[in-house]
Order: sequence, then C-alpha cells, then structure tokens
Amino acid sequence: MKRSLGGLWDTWGITAILLLLLAVAPVLTPDFFSLDNAQSVLRESAYLGIVAAGMTFAIASGAFDLSVGGQLALCSVVSLMGFAAGGTVLAVAAALATGLACGLVNASLITRLAVPPFVATLGTLFVFRGVAYILTKDGPKTLPYDQIGSPFVKIGGLNVAGLPVPFLIMLAVYAAAWLLMRRTATGRRVLAYGSSPEAARFCGISPTRLRVFVFALVGVSVGIAALTYITRVWTADGSAQDGFELKVIAAVVLGGTSLKGGKGTLIGTFSAVLLVSVLNDMLVSEGVPSAYQRIVLGGVLIIALTIDGLRTRFAAPGSLRRAVTGLGGRTPKTGLAR
Amino acid sequence: MANSGRRALLEVEGLTVEFPGVRALDNVHFDVAAGEVHALVGENGAGKSTLLKVLGGLHRPSAGAIRLGGNAYRPRRPSDAMHAGIAVIYQEFNLYPDLSVAENVFSGREPFHRFSRGIRYAEINSRAAALFATLGVSIDPAAAVNSLTVSEQQLVEIAKALSVNGRIIVMDEPTAALSADEVARLLDVVRRLRAEGRSVIYVSHRLDEVFAVADRVTVLRDGKHVRTSPLAGTSTDELVRLMVGRDIASMFHRDDVADGDVVLELDRVSAGRQLREVSMTVRAGEIVGIGGVAGAGQPELSQVIFGAVPLKSGQMRLGGNAYRPKGPADAMKAGVGFLHEDRKTAGILPDLTVRHNLTISVLDKVRGALGRLLSPSAELDIFSTYRARLAIRTTGPDQLIGQLSGGNQQKVLFGRALAPGARLLILNEPTRGVDIGAKVEIHHLINEITADGAGVIMISSDLPELLGISDRVYVFASGQIVGHLTGDDRTEENVMLCATTGRKIFSEAAS
Repeated sequence: MKRSLGGLWDTWGITAILLLLLAVAPVLTPDFFSLDNAQSVLRESAYLGIVAAGMTFAIASGAFDLSVGGQLALCSVVSLMGFAAGGTVLAVAAALATGLACGLVNASLITRLAVPPFVATLGTLFVFRGVAYILTKDGPKTLPYDQIGSPFVKIGGLNVAGLPVPFLIMLAVYAAAWLLMRRTATGRRVLAYGSSPEAARFCGISPTRLRVFVFALVGVSVGIAALTYITRVWTADGSAQDGFELKVIAAVVLGGTSLKGGKGTLIGTFSAVLLVSVLNDMLVSEGVPSAYQRIVLGGVLIIALTIDGLRTRFAAPGSLRRAVTGLGGRTPKTGLAR
Repeated sequence: MANSGRRALLEVEGLTVEFPGVRALDNVHFDVAAGEVHALVGENGAGKSTLLKVLGGLHRPSAGAIRLGGNAYRPRRPSDAMHAGIAVIYQEFNLYPDLSVAENVFSGREPFHRFSRGIRYAEINSRAAALFATLGVSIDPAAAVNSLTVSEQQLVEIAKALSVNGRIIVMDEPTAALSADEVARLLDVVRRLRAEGRSVIYVSHRLDEVFAVADRVTVLRDGKHVRTSPLAGTSTDELVRLMVGRDIASMFHRDDVADGDVVLELDRVSAGRQLREVSMTVRAGEIVGIGGVAGAGQPELSQVIFGAVPLKSGQMRLGGNAYRPKGPADAMKAGVGFLHEDRKTAGILPDLTVRHNLTISVLDKVRGALGRLLSPSAELDIFSTYRARLAIRTTGPDQLIGQLSGGNQQKVLFGRALAPGARLLILNEPTRGVDIGAKVEIHHLINEITADGAGVIMISSDLPELLGISDRVYVFASGQIVGHLTGDDRTEENVMLCATTGRKIFSEAAS
C-alpha cells in the first residue's frame, strides 16, 4: 500500500516537528530532560490534551465546541463541591456528570433549535462560566488541606513508574479515542459526516444522533480533564483557565485535523499538545515573559495553518484561480430549493 | 408574422463552440426579429444552453459571427451583453437572496445620494415599482428576495433585464419550477414584452408553452441547427420528431430477465412540494424507468421511497409488507439501495478512501472478533469483492475517492448501494457525467443486478438510456404520472409528448 507524502505529513508531520524540538531542547535548556522538568511538562499537558482528544472529534465532524473553557471551570467547581460533600466518588461522578450535561445542553441547542455550533457554543461558553461564577461567589472552591492524604487529592501529583498520573490518564484517553475514531462505526460516521453532511445523510447517518454523540463526548472529555486539573491546582472558580477553548482548538488544528471536517488525527493532536507544552516549558525556562509566550504560540499556529492552507489550496483543481481572484466567497444564489 | 419583411435584430451565422473533445455547437445559424418571440427547442445536450451562454458572454465561439442591429456582436463577458441590450435569465437565478427586490434590480447600478453616498432607496423603489407596473404585476420593491416565490423571483430577473433597457430578453426554461397559474402569468408578461417591441428568445422543454407564445421556433439537435420555421402550420408531433430524429444507439442492451413478485407498491403517494398521488409497482428482476422533464417530482419520488423525505399521504408496500421508513437507515435495513443524482455533493465522501466509501453503508457487518470494533480485514474483503465485480479502477483501497474518474466514483457508489443486500435499487441519473465506456459497464451492471433478483427504479433524463434498458417507463409531469409506456409504446416521441404537452398515454398492457 502506497501512501502519498501529503498523507504521511497529515498524520506524522507535527510529530516530526515535536521530535526535532525535543532534539534541540537540551541544547537550549540544559536541564530539559531532568526528571522533574520532564514530569512537569507531561503533567501540565494532561488537561489540555484530554479535551483536545474530544475536540478532535468535534472538528472532524465539521463543528466546533467553543464552550470547553466554561465547561472546564464549571466541572472543576462542581467536582470540588462534590468532594466536599461526599469525597472521591462524588467528586469524580460530579465532574463527569457535569461535563456530560454541558455537552447535552450544547447538542440540544444545535439539533433542536438549529443554532449553528459556533454560535450555540459561544453562547454556552458564557453561560457555563457564569454558572461557575455564581457557584463561587463566596470565594473559590478548594481542596481542603486536611484531606491531603486522600487518594483523590493525590492524583495530580502522583507518579507511577516515573510517569505522572494525569499523563497516564491522558494516554489512556488517547488510546480509547484512537480506537473510537479508527476502529468503530461511530468514529467512521463522524468522519463521513464531517466530509459531506449531505452524502452522509444518504448513507443512513442521522445528523441528530451524530451531533449529540460528538458534543456529549467533548463534555465527558472535559469532565475527565477537570479531575486532572483540580487535583493539580487544588482550586477553581469562574475564571479558571480563561481562553482555554482557543488553546484546545489551536492544538487540534496544529495537529493536522482539518477545520473543514472529514479528517481527524489523534496522533497529530497528541503530538501537537506535547509540542505546545514543550515549547511553553522552554520559553519559561529561558525566562521569556508570558506575553511573548503567547505571541510564539500564535506564530506557530499561523505558520502551521499557512503551510496546510497552501498545500490544500494548490492540491485542488481550479483552486489556484479561486485563491488568486478570491472568487467563490459570496456568490449570488438561486432562490430555488435544490 | 413578426419576422417577414422586417430586418433581423439578431443574426447568428455559422456559430461553432468547441470544448475539449466535444463540439457543443456546430455551424448553427438563426435570427431574431425585433418584437418577435423566438422559441429554441431541443433535447438535453442539444446545445441550447451553450447558445445562450455565447449570447450572454459566458462562452466564446470558436467560429461564426453574431450581428446585433447590423453590427458585429462579440461579447467577452456578461457585462458586454448587458450593455448591448441582451439580458439572459438563466435557470439558476442571479439574485442576492438577502437583499431587497429593488436592490437586486439595480444591483451594481444603484444611484447614490450626493453627499452621504447612501443608496437612493426612494428612487430605486419607485423605479422598480414602475417596471413591475409595465409587466402588469405587483411586487413590493422593498421585500427581501428570499421572501418571494420562485415565479416572483423570475419577475425580478425580468425587471432587471428591463432596467438595463434589454432589447433581447433570453429566458432559459423559465417555467421549470412554476405552477400552472404562474406559467399563464409569465406567458402574459412575455406577450407584453413583445407588444413593447422587445424580442424574447424562449427556451423550453414544454412545447405547449412554445405554441402558446412563440412566433417562430428553431430546433437544435446534437449541437446542429435542424430547422427554423413559423409555428403556425407546425404540429407538435412534427417538432418532437425533429427534436429526437436520430437512431436509438444500439449500445443499449437489456437482458431478458423473468419478472418476479412485486417488490414495491406505491398507492397514491404524495410527498414534498411536487409529488402528488402517485401509484406504481416494481417487480423483482424488472428495470422500471422514470422519465420526464427535470424537476417534475422525480427526486421526491426516489427520496420518499428511501425515507429521505417524509410521506405526506398514501401507502407504500415493500415485499408485500406495509413500508414507511423513518429515515434512510431504515430503508437500507429494509433492503432499499439508493444512488443520488448529485454525485459530487450528496454521493461521495470526498475525504474518505475508496474502501471507507464502500463500507459506510455496512459498518454493522464489518465487525471483527472484538465485538464492537471494525475489522480492517473484513473491510478489505468487501473492497476486493466490489472492486472485482464492478471493475473499479483504483490504485488501491486507500486511494481517496475524489481521485477516481467520475465513472469509477459512480461504481463505488453502486457498490455502496448494493453492499447491504438491496432487493430494490433506486438509481438517480446512474450515468450522468460518466464517459461512454463506464456508461456501458454501468448498464451491464444494472442488467446483472436484476438478474440477481432485485428490482430497479431508474430515473434518467437521458432518453436513449431510459428507453434502451428499461422494461417499462413511467413519465412524470408536474409531480404526477402522465404516461406508462410498455412494449412498442416505449418511444422517445411518446415520452416527449407526455412530458412536454401534458398528453396522457397509458399502454394497454400496463398493469
């Protein structure tokens, strides 16, 4: 089986860049591969990575979930309240149930009220954060110090065989997500729907069920991520992880998943998440101020998308003309229903 | 007659248009007098649209000359046609749905206020209202175009043509989507335009309209001029013969397949905007052709059987049992396969491989040992089976479907429709846009499918194909069956008569 160079780049390009970065990292940052530093990079990447796995499905289906930042804040706050009320079991259940509920709210806005995903989740981003603010109006929810010995509280800091537990959870999430995308009917339908919603409908794929699944999946991934997040930072309120949604989408797109839908690569997303974390870590160790870190991340994203855009633009027939003349944007439409 | 003794306003001589591998127009000549309604008729692919696009400045001829009012007319772009006073109203309207009627009429030529540079709305609204008054219709100039009916949108296009002082107004299938009342109103408008001294080139499949409104008619066939003559003294049958007038190619082959039990039965089925009270049957081993002018309810028919549009009223029975699919998934489970007429936007899954395009309809059957997980080897088996059976030319299972030729994409989609074990196959335009070789292969395949005992409904606007391989043909007009042709009644003339004149023909032997 031959595969085109372009196909290989789609899946492995970002991984290659990650490996390159890892190769030069020790030169720039001598203690990069010290156990402490490596563990910290992996631990930090977990909650971004877990949500990015769920988001890969949303984007592959041709949609977005802009509300994940609000969801993360809400799941974290509710989970912390759950822990205070009923310990580990309730904390875990509360995080997952809140994530699922958020996903279902998004899905019903999109499928029942026919609000486009972009608009629906932009709205719920504010709503979810707003609810988290209301729940923490008397101050942020925290993990109590007297529970420091509890296994739940330890999740964020614990290592098993030298690997941080949040990173292990992320690995498990990616293994499951990869199977779901590549080896299940549901995953295939997500890609089919993202590639052509109209054709997918005539293949017997129900748009409603598909969207409910995708947005519920994103919600649950946020629930899992919230557990690694609160056990790492021990506190949360409405402002937790402001701007998180854009980081997640950036990582997914950087990984090579097409914003047009129809393509999704979890290997790419995984590598992109690590790339962003490594880059961040290097910038921090070099003492680069955080404002500049943002600029670097934005620059990397723009460069990656430019390469991708140029490649797909020049791959399609007739596309050069469109690219040059700008035709194909707003065209007069017939009033006839087709 | 409007033409006699009067100097021609538009003269077309020796017009030839060539596309790579095709001569769309071959040495065509015709002329239009001032104040004449000139009809242009011919089958699909006869070259009517190409001729209109040359007049409208969209195509450039490879040979020939056009004169307008005695001067050479060589439009290089649509605006040239507009300035010369030729307004072409294509079937697909050129309207901005979110803008108002008046904004559309004066689009690109709006008068502005001197200082604010805002559009003079009062002025364009009153000018648009005046235009509609000359047409004898009332449409609110301030209404958004997307709030209008199709026939009103048509009138907006006509008003646009008048606003640039169009001397020649060209209408391409203007009544394709109109109701009977709306058609009558449109024909009135055409007569008014003629009374004002304007010329109209009227392109239509519907010969009854042509007879009702036109002075002269030009028949095109296979890109060539067949005849121009006054309509007075011409009969419908004569025109139909001139339009068809060719041997039905012997390339169409239909195997003898014994009919089996009734697979599908429709009893007064209505659905969508068009389909009304349609009753028909399809037997196992049968190819039932559906013909008629495009948009006469054929898409609704195929989609209601496939569960993609809801049934409004009536009954369907599949294999003797009551059948009312809740959606395409239901229909597929019941053994109905479907091929969409629009391969590009509703057929292929462009980002997926050939293998995945094939198996998308049978994902439930390619589960491996691990229960819910898909088995790549089972998918490969399906791919190999259909690649061999349908002779799909591809570099391998992982090639993207978009890289295949149209004919091979179509074969993959056939495989997708067949894979769930279909006992009824609905084929919409099965050979549209495929080359001649693939066309023969696809016809062979349809024969095979019926030999295996499935029933086939084939909707086709390609008359030789429709008649060449169908056992029986239903003809649709305005959402109803107006003809049922079996045996020797299956002729192009009969299909055209039913489809274009509303005459009804039901073969004796028809059940």
